[in-house]
Amino acid sequence: MIVDKIKKRELPEKNKKTKIDIPVGKWAKCDKCKEIIYKEILRENLNICPNCGHYFRMHINRRLKLVVDEGTYKKFDLNIETNNPLDIEDYPKKLKTLREKTGLEEAVACGTAKIKGEKVVICIMDSGFLMGSMGLVVGEKITYAIEQAIEQRLPLIIFSVSGGARMQEGIISLMQMAKTTAALTKLDEAGLLYISVLTDPTYGGVTASFASLGDIILAEPGAMIGFAGQRVIEQTIGESLPEGFQTAEFLLEHGFIDKIVERKELKDTLYNLIQFHKGGES
Amino acid sequence: MKQKKEDNGEAIAKSMFEMAKLKVPVIAIVIGEGSSGGALAIGVANKVIMLENAIYSILSPEGYSSILWKDSSRYKEAAEKMKLTAKDLYDLKVIDKIIKEPKGNEEESFKKTSRNLKTEIKSIISEMKNKNSDKIVEERYNKFRIMG
Repeated sequence: MIVDKIKKRELPEKNKKTKIDIPVGKWAKCDKCKEIIYKEILRENLNICPNCGHYFRMHINRRLKLVVDEGTYKKFDLNIETNNPLDIEDYPKKLKTLREKTGLEEAVACGTAKIKGEKVVICIMDSGFLMGSMGLVVGEKITYAIEQAIEQRLPLIIFSVSGGARMQEGIISLMQMAKTTAALTKLDEAGLLYISVLTDPTYGGVTASFASLGDIILAEPGAMIGFAGQRVIEQTIGESLPEGFQTAEFLLEHGFIDKIVERKELKDTLYNLIQFHKGGES
Repeated sequence: MKQKKEDNGEAIAKSMFEMAKLKVPVIAIVIGEGSSGGALAIGVANKVIMLENAIYSILSPEGYSSILWKDSSRYKEAAEKMKLTAKDLYDLKVIDKIIKEPKGNEEESFKKTSRNLKTEIKSIISEMKNKNSDKIVEERYNKFRIMG
């Protein structure tokens, strides 16, 4: 069946010749419409399914390329590692393997960058690293980024994607919610702009802390956003949930987010918002 | 409240945000089972104290084992691992003080525990009452800033 689909798919000229040689690893399946897509096409289409418009997740590097001016990203020099507070046996090893596999240091990257010439502090999470979960390192990096935004008087932009607090670090992960939130009170007092961008999926302790506290909250189309998972809520309240519950569109309708922005519009939208809020700066 | 339409993530975030700004001393006391964002939403305090036999954790042991090991029946093992007792949390510097719950018959034990709690609350209040509001906010901020 899969082969049939692949055969039916129309490929650009350059790929046609080599079609039969393409290894399995070059294809991706859309979670929504189940279409088999050539990864290169998906890539060119900003990781959006060309068939149904479903948004695939994005690696930090791709996300940076999408929203910041080329060559302007400077990551904060912050070498911290978790102390494995619960002494989970395979956890440090798992982190090491993930670092090698993904090329990422942790589930978030933070630094300064320019968006169409406007300097910002930017944090980007990545679901490829333990589902973007927040432990000590993620909490510390985000907090440090907030403090840098205050010190350098820059707007702050955080792209969230996360399963929530990191279970492997137990209560210490939970405390990162309080830490990042408290830091945001200082950013608020300093009168600086914070734009939170929610991408699919944003859940748990990340939703219940910095992700929900943006002065402006944007989301990508179709992103799933919530605190507890739907199955858990249904089991707890013993009722089924309304259609579209926890989608960005549903949350927009109910006033939790301010705007849904398509991927290709993100950079311009962020730039316009920064420009708009620059008025009061002397 | 339209509970079905609203998730509580934002409420937890807002609650912590406002708590972090309070200009008066805040004492949070864990008296039973405190877990996840709901507990933390009322836990951004200058002093977090805990009854000797209470637990405070990221999630219930059932939920924890279900997420980490995809097996909620391993809750006992999870409870051992999670460092959720008052003693563990004191060692991790997540809480500031453990309130003793003396053994005895129920009524007696309750009275003694309440007395211990009262003494501690009074001592915290007298320690904090001469601090100005900036200092109170700053101390609470620093407490969570170094967490982990």
